[in-house]
Amino acid sequence: MIEIRDLEKKYEMSTPLRDVNADIHDGDVIAVIGPSGTGKSTLLRCINLLERPTSGSIRIDGEEVLSASCDVSAIRRKVGMIFQSFYLFDHLTAVENIMRPQTDLLGRSRQEAYERSVELLGKVGLADKLLKYPDELSGGQKQRVAIARALAMDPEYILFDEPTSALDPAMRGEVQAVIRDLADNGRTMMIVTHDMHFARTIANRVFFMNNGVIYEEGTPEEIFDHPQKELTRQFIRDLRVLEIEIMDGLLDFPGAISSITEYCSRNRIPPKTTLRIQQVFEELVRQILLPEPGISHIRFIAEYSETEENTVVTVLHDGETFSLETTENRLSAAIIQNAVTSVGYSTEPDAVPERQIVLQLKKE
Amino acid sequence: MITAVLLVFLCGCSAKKDDVPAGYTELSQLTEKRIGVTTGSVQAILVEQMFPDAEILHYSTTVDMLEALKAGKVDAFAEAEALLKIMLGEYPEVTYLDEKLGSPMQVGAIFPKNEKGRKYCDEYSTYLRDIKENGTYDEILQIWYGDDEDLRVVEDPDSLPGPNGTLHMAVFTSAVPFSYVKDGKVVGVDIDLATHFCREYGYRLEIVQMDFPAILPAVLTGKCEFACGGIAYTAERAETFYYSEFTMESYSVMAVLKGTGISGQKSIVSSIRESFEKTFIRENRWKLFVRGAWNTVLITALSVIFGTLLGFGAYLLVRGGNRIGIWFVRALAWLIAGMPAIVLLMILYYIIFSSSGISGQTVAIIAFSMIFGTSMYGMICSGVDAVDKGQTEAAYALGYRDRDAFFRIILPQAAIHFLPSYKSQITALLKATAVVGYVTVLDLTKMGDIVRSRTYEPFFPLIAVTVIYFILSGLLTKITDILTRKIDPKQRTQEEILKGVKTHD
Repeated sequence: MIEIRDLEKKYEMSTPLRDVNADIHDGDVIAVIGPSGTGKSTLLRCINLLERPTSGSIRIDGEEVLSASCDVSAIRRKVGMIFQSFYLFDHLTAVENIMRPQTDLLGRSRQEAYERSVELLGKVGLADKLLKYPDELSGGQKQRVAIARALAMDPEYILFDEPTSALDPAMRGEVQAVIRDLADNGRTMMIVTHDMHFARTIANRVFFMNNGVIYEEGTPEEIFDHPQKELTRQFIRDLRVLEIEIMDGLLDFPGAISSITEYCSRNRIPPKTTLRIQQVFEELVRQILLPEPGISHIRFIAEYSETEENTVVTVLHDGETFSLETTENRLSAAIIQNAVTSVGYSTEPDAVPERQIVLQLKKE
Repeated sequence: MITAVLLVFLCGCSAKKDDVPAGYTELSQLTEKRIGVTTGSVQAILVEQMFPDAEILHYSTTVDMLEALKAGKVDAFAEAEALLKIMLGEYPEVTYLDEKLGSPMQVGAIFPKNEKGRKYCDEYSTYLRDIKENGTYDEILQIWYGDDEDLRVVEDPDSLPGPNGTLHMAVFTSAVPFSYVKDGKVVGVDIDLATHFCREYGYRLEIVQMDFPAILPAVLTGKCEFACGGIAYTAERAETFYYSEFTMESYSVMAVLKGTGISGQKSIVSSIRESFEKTFIRENRWKLFVRGAWNTVLITALSVIFGTLLGFGAYLLVRGGNRIGIWFVRALAWLIAGMPAIVLLMILYYIIFSSSGISGQTVAIIAFSMIFGTSMYGMICSGVDAVDKGQTEAAYALGYRDRDAFFRIILPQAAIHFLPSYKSQITALLKATAVVGYVTVLDLTKMGDIVRSRTYEPFFPLIAVTVIYFILSGLLTKITDILTRKIDPKQRTQEEILKGVKTHD
C-alpha cells in the first residue's frame, strides 16, 4: 500500500505538484489522466524518488520514503518504472538488459538470471529477440523488453509513465496487451496515459489531475460517463468533441488535418470514418465555403459516439445560406454526398456564426 | 607509403643545384644577401651587427644551413671556422671566405653564478691554464684535429673515482669537434678536456645531453653544475654565467658555394646506399635509433597509462561534486590545454622539479601524462554527455546506486563514444613527444638529429626517423585496437555475451 499525503513539488519557476493525497491499495490499477503539464509524470517520479518532493509524505508499505534513513535503492527495487522513451541500456542485448540488474542488484547467479530473462521475454512475446540490441528492435518491442526488465526485479508496484505515447498507433496494441495481462494477474500499477480508451478499459480507479492536485477521482464509469466537477466534464467533453475554428478566412490546413488525425486516434475512430471526416473538412470547408464571397468565419465541430459508432459533423458559417445541391463545385459536392447519409441546413439566431450545416457520416 | 616518402626524397635530391648563384669571394658582396645563422649563436649577433641590410635566416643546426646553401635558399651562412674545417670535407662544393667576421670567438665552459659555480669555474680555469702551459692542451687538440680517427676517444666518465662528488655537465651533442656522438658515446674536445679535469680534481662526471637552447637554462637553474660544447663567449652570457678560461679559440667565417659548378653527381642508387651505410651501419648508429625509439615508446606508453588514470580520476573528482576539486580540475585542464607541450616541459623541468634531481625522462612522462590526462578528461566528459540522461534514470529506477549506475551502465556507453578519439589521441601523443629533446631526453627525433650532425646527411636520417614513427604508430594502433576491442561491448560474440550460461537450445 502506498499512502501519499500533502505532497508538494516546487521548482523555481513552477509548481507541478501542489497538494496530492492518495492511497494506492494492493491490486489497484490506477489510470492517471488530465491535461498536459498538470503534474502526472512528476507524481510518478516522486513516488520512486527520481524527483525529491519539496514537502509531504509518501509511505510505501508503512515505510516513510522521504526520511533520511530510508534506503532509496531498496525502495526503487520495490517500485518498478516504465518510461515513455523505454531507456533500454543501449550497449546490452535484450537478454542482458534483463539479466544485468538481477545479477548486479539481486545477487542472482547468471544462470538464474538468464532463465528468468528467457521466461519473461517469452511472456512479452519476444523469445526470439534474446540477442538483439535495442537499436535492432522496434519501439513496441523495446517497450516490452523494458517491461520484462522491470518485472525481473519482482517489484511490488509498477509505475508506467506514458508507456505508449512514443509509439506508432500500430504498436500501441502490443504493449497495451502486455500491460493488460499484468493487470489481469493482480499487479498493483499506476499508469499515466493520454489513451482514454486504454485508461477506461484497464483501470479500476481513475485519477483526474489538474493544476497539481488530484481534482477528481473515481471508477472509470464515474469519471468518463458521469464526471461530477466542472473541469473534469470539460476535459472529457474536449476529448470527445473536435472543434476547429477559422477566423477571417485564414486556414491552417495541415494543422487542421493533424488535429483531426489526432482526435481520431485518441478516440479510436475507425480508419474509414477518419478519412470521411477529413474529406468533409477538405471539400466543404476548404473547397466550397472558404472561396465563397461573404464567408470568413467558420466553426467545424465533429463528435463521435463510441457506443453507437456514430459521427456527426456540424459546420457553422457566416454569410448567405447555401446548399450542396446548388453549389457550382460539383466534384466536391459529389465527394461529400458520398461520405454522408444526410445533410441538414438551418439558421440559428443564437449561434455564432448563425448558418448551420449538420452532416451525418456514413458508418463503417 | 615508405616508397612514396623515398621518392619525394629522391626528387628533392636530384632537383637541386642548377641555378644557384655562387662565386662570392669577399664579405662586401654579401651586404644585401640572404645569410643563414644558428639561433642564439655568436655568429647570429655578429652578422646582425655587420650586415644590417642582409636578410638573416635562422636555422637550428649547421647541417640545415649547409643544405639551405646548396639548395640556394641562402647565399652564405656564418659559422665557427673550427666547425667548418671538419665539416667541409664532406661537402666539396662548399668553402668559406678567408676574410673573418670580427675578432676570434672563445669557446669555454659556463658555470652558474653562485658560490659553487665560482669554485668549479676557478678550478677548471686553473686546470686549463696549467695544461696550456705544460703542453697537454696542444696534445689533446692535436688528437681532435689530426687525421687519426682511432685516437679520438674519451675516457669513460663512469670510471672516474670521484671522491669529491659528481659534476653534471650539460652538452649539446651536435657540434663536431667540440662535443658529438661517436660509437654511441659522447666525445669531442670539450668532453675530453672536462674528463681530464675531473680525473685531476677528483670528480665523477655525468654527461647530460640536450638541445642547445636547453643548455643555458639547465645551468641557470642548477640542473647541471656546468655546460660546454661550443659555447662561445659573449658579454651578455657573461652577465648571467661565469666563463672558464677558453677551451678553444676560433674565428667566425662565412661559408659560401664554390664558384665552379661541381660535377660529382653520384648515381641515385649508390647515393642511397651510401646514405644508408652512413646513417645506420657506420659506428653502429642503428643502435642510436633503437635507443631513441625505445625512449619514445616508453614515454608514450607510460603517459597514456598514467594520463588515462589521471583524466579518469579528475573526472570522478568533478563528478563527486566537490567544489574546490571542480575548480582545481577545470583550472588545470584549461592551463594545460592552452599551453604548448614544450613550454609545459620546460616549466616542469627547469622550475617545478629543478631542484629535485629527477630525470628528463621522468619529467617528460609527467608532462605528457598531464597533457594526455587533460584530453582524456575532455573525452570522458563529452562521452558521458553523449549518453542519454534517461539511461541514468532507468538505472536508478531499477535500484542501482549512483556509483554502480555510472560504472556499469553509463561508462561502457560513454566508452563507445570516446574510444575512436582515444585511439587517435594516442597516435597524436606519440608524435607530440618529439619535443622531449629539450629536457635532455634522447628520443627518436633527438637521435635523428645527433646522427644528422655526424653524417652531414640532411634528409636521410629524417626520413629514417619518419619511417620509424610510422611503424611505431602502426604498432600502437594495433595494440590499442586489441585492447579497446575488449572494452567495446558491441564487439562481443554471442559466446562472450552468454558466458557461463547454459542455454536450452
